Amino acid sequence: MSRRRRQPALFCFMLCSIFAMLFFLLPACSSNRPQTYQKSRALMDTFITITVAAGSGKEADNALETAFAVIEGFGKRIDFFSGDSELSRINSNAGIAGIRVSADTFDLIEKALYVADRSGGAFDPTIGPVVRLWDFHKKTRPSDTDIKRGLALVGYKQVVLDKQRSTVFLKKKGMLLDLGGIAKGYAADLAAESLKAGGIASGIVAIAGDIRAFGLRPDGTPWNIGIKNPRQERAGDEIIGSIRLSNRAVSTAGDYERYFIEDGRRYHHILDPSTGYPAGQCRSVSIITEKGVFTDGFDNAVFVLGPQKGMQLIREINRDFEMDGIIIDADGSVSETDRIKGTIKNEKSH
Amino acid sequence: MKRAIRDMTIADRVLLVMLLALSLTGIFIVREAVPLTAEVIVEVDGRAVFTAPLDADKNVLLDSIHGKIGIEIKDRMVRINEAHCPNRLCMKEGWVSQGVIVCLPNKVVVFVGGRGNRLNKELDAVTG
Repeated sequence: MSRRRRQPALFCFMLCSIFAMLFFLLPACSSNRPQTYQKSRALMDTFITITVAAGSGKEADNALETAFAVIEGFGKRIDFFSGDSELSRINSNAGIAGIRVSADTFDLIEKALYVADRSGGAFDPTIGPVVRLWDFHKKTRPSDTDIKRGLALVGYKQVVLDKQRSTVFLKKKGMLLDLGGIAKGYAADLAAESLKAGGIASGIVAIAGDIRAFGLRPDGTPWNIGIKNPRQERAGDEIIGSIRLSNRAVSTAGDYERYFIEDGRRYHHILDPSTGYPAGQCRSVSIITEKGVFTDGFDNAVFVLGPQKGMQLIREINRDFEMDGIIIDADGSVSETDRIKGTIKNEKSH
Repeated sequence: MKRAIRDMTIADRVLLVMLLALSLTGIFIVREAVPLTAEVIVEVDGRAVFTAPLDADKNVLLDSIHGKIGIEIKDRMVRINEAHCPNRLCMKEGWVSQGVIVCLPNKVVVFVGGRGNRLNKELDAVTG
């Protein structure tokens, strides 16, 4: 073939090469295209993963480190076991004096009491005296007498808040506030706000199973959150469904997180504040709403109330602010609110 | 060599440059599409203190909050084989081939297969 006749073919090949390069290289070189960055930490006695969409690793890293610092600082203030935390000072001064606390701690306790009130005490942050009797790792089941004694100190109406002085007072000596059932969701909210303040437009804060999502994924779709199978049997059936979230939080309370089985009965960590024993009507409850503090608090409340009363509570709350829920009852039957019907895909495995 | 370059037409030279550029592009594409060798990364309180390839059997003892913590890599799987935390739940996790092993009291996170290596790639997070 002569050189002259070869040139048009060469030019065609070159043109194709240029297009191929533009196709592959330009998106990778663009500094404005956000990518996802992820970091994990063990904080607040749990495993935390934060995922953000950012224009650069440096931008992501700065925001992530600040968010982790926010979570760590908050976690220290409400640590049940640390002697110098704000929560410990409230508890050790029960029946003696009100304790001045930071704005975040006060806000969290105020919201915990709101959830307690709306659920008629199905969630109760003063359940501490009963919680401390159980040890699910050592399979310790307390005696009925001890539970009865503990229950006498449970009652969210015995918590006195003074907003002006920012103080919290437990009326009875021996009362113990335990914010473990709501604090992780609140921490997810704090971290999400910190990320936004740091210039991050979208991301997910996952504090164990308490997840707060904001913005959209870099591909423009909502974040995809899996829901754990409460009766996982094999490696492949860990997830029973997924929901798409943007500017929403989701939390799940399940009887499979901390538990032991004795004489065929499952004893798990979600205690009914009216009996002091594990609530038995559900396997898991997932709640979806705007704030993590409410998903975390209400998932426990709905779990304790059971499928019928629990779904009724979700509908009542939904009149005040948008709330959805997925309840898997003790037999494995699923009920969902209308907006998220069909979320659970495989109904055989749970 | 110089003569060969001198005898080239402009189109030949452009083609040569293009082929070089395409080769470089290929490297970028392969690096993005094919993951590097799987790693084991151990973080204590958010700081990476140990990194090793998953395919090299190894036993290490690292400092943590409650004394030493032992990490064993064998047959592309990882386990915590020594810990002095109260409940030793991390040891009860057993062998893990992909994902994360966490020891909360020690603030130790072991990433098996590298950071951000999730069991389900379609999901951004899991609740429950």
